[in-house]
Amino acid sequence: VFTLTNCLVLAGILFAVGAWGVIARRNLLIMLISLELMLNAVILAAAAFARMHAVTVQQTRQLHAGETGQILALFIIAVAAAEAVVGLAIVISLFRNRESVDARDVTELRQ
Amino acid sequence: MGTLGDIVFALCALVCVTAAIGVVIQKNPVYSVVCLLPFFLGMTALLVLLQNTFLAAVLMIVYGGAILVLFLFVLMLINLSPEQLRADYSPWTYGLSALGVGMLAGAIAVFSRLGTNGDLGRPFAAVPLEGTFGSLNSLSRPLFQQFVVPFELISVLIVVAIVGAVLLTKKRI
Repeated sequence: VFTLTNCLVLAGILFAVGAWGVIARRNLLIMLISLELMLNAVILAAAAFARMHAVTVQQTRQLHAGETGQILALFIIAVAAAEAVVGLAIVISLFRNRESVDARDVTELRQ
Repeated sequence: MGTLGDIVFALCALVCVTAAIGVVIQKNPVYSVVCLLPFFLGMTALLVLLQNTFLAAVLMIVYGGAILVLFLFVLMLINLSPEQLRADYSPWTYGLSALGVGMLAGAIAVFSRLGTNGDLGRPFAAVPLEGTFGSLNSLSRPLFQQFVVPFELISVLIVVAIVGAVLLTKKRI
C-alpha cells in the first residue's frame, strides 16, 4: 500500500543496500556509486515527508506546504553532483599514480 | 487496497531494490553502472507517484543524464583490465556486512512503522492534493526568498568542485 510508512521502509532498505556496497566492496568506483544509492534513499524519504506534510497542512489552508522538503531534496541532488565530480577526480588521479582503483592499495595514511 | 497507485508503487520498489542489489553484487563496474539506470528510472517513477514532479525531472536530468554518464565516462577512461578487478569477494566480509546492514534496514523499518501511526499512516491516495504541489511554480518562491542564501552557496560549492576536479586531475598546471 502506498503510504508514508512504506515509502520510509523502502528508503531504509535502499539506504541499507548502499551502505552494504560501501562496506563490502573494495572497488572505489562501486563505493562511490553506492554512496549515490544512499543519497537517493534520503531524497526519497524527503520527498515522501514533503508530500505527507502537504497533505496534513492542506486542511489548515496554509500556503507553501511541503515545499521545504522538496528544496532539501533539490539541495541534496546538487551536493551529490559536486561529490560525484570530486570523488571521480580523486579516482582518476589515483589511477594515474597507482594503476589501480582498489581501496586496499591506498594505505599511506595509516602507516 | 490494490489501487493502481499501490501496484505501481510496489513495482517501482521492486525495480529499485533489485537494481540496487545488482549494483552492489556485480563484479564488473560497467554492469554496476548499467544497473544504476533502472534504479534511477524507478526513483523517478516513485517521485512522480509522490507528485514531486519537478524533483523527478531534476533527478532524471542530473542523475540519469549527468552523473551516470560521468561514471561511465570515467570507467571507460581508466579501462580496468580483468586482473586489476581483483575479487573483493571475501564471503566473510560479504556475509557479515550483509547481516549487519540487514539489521540496520530492519531497525529503520521498525522505527518508521512506530513513528508513523494514526493520521500519518493513511494512504496517500486517500487525500488527494489540490493546487500546484511539486511544480516549479510552487517551488520557486521559497527557493528565491526563504532559501536564497543556501541556493547561492550551492553555486559556490559547484565552482569549488569544478576547480578542485581540474586541480586534482591535471598533470601540470
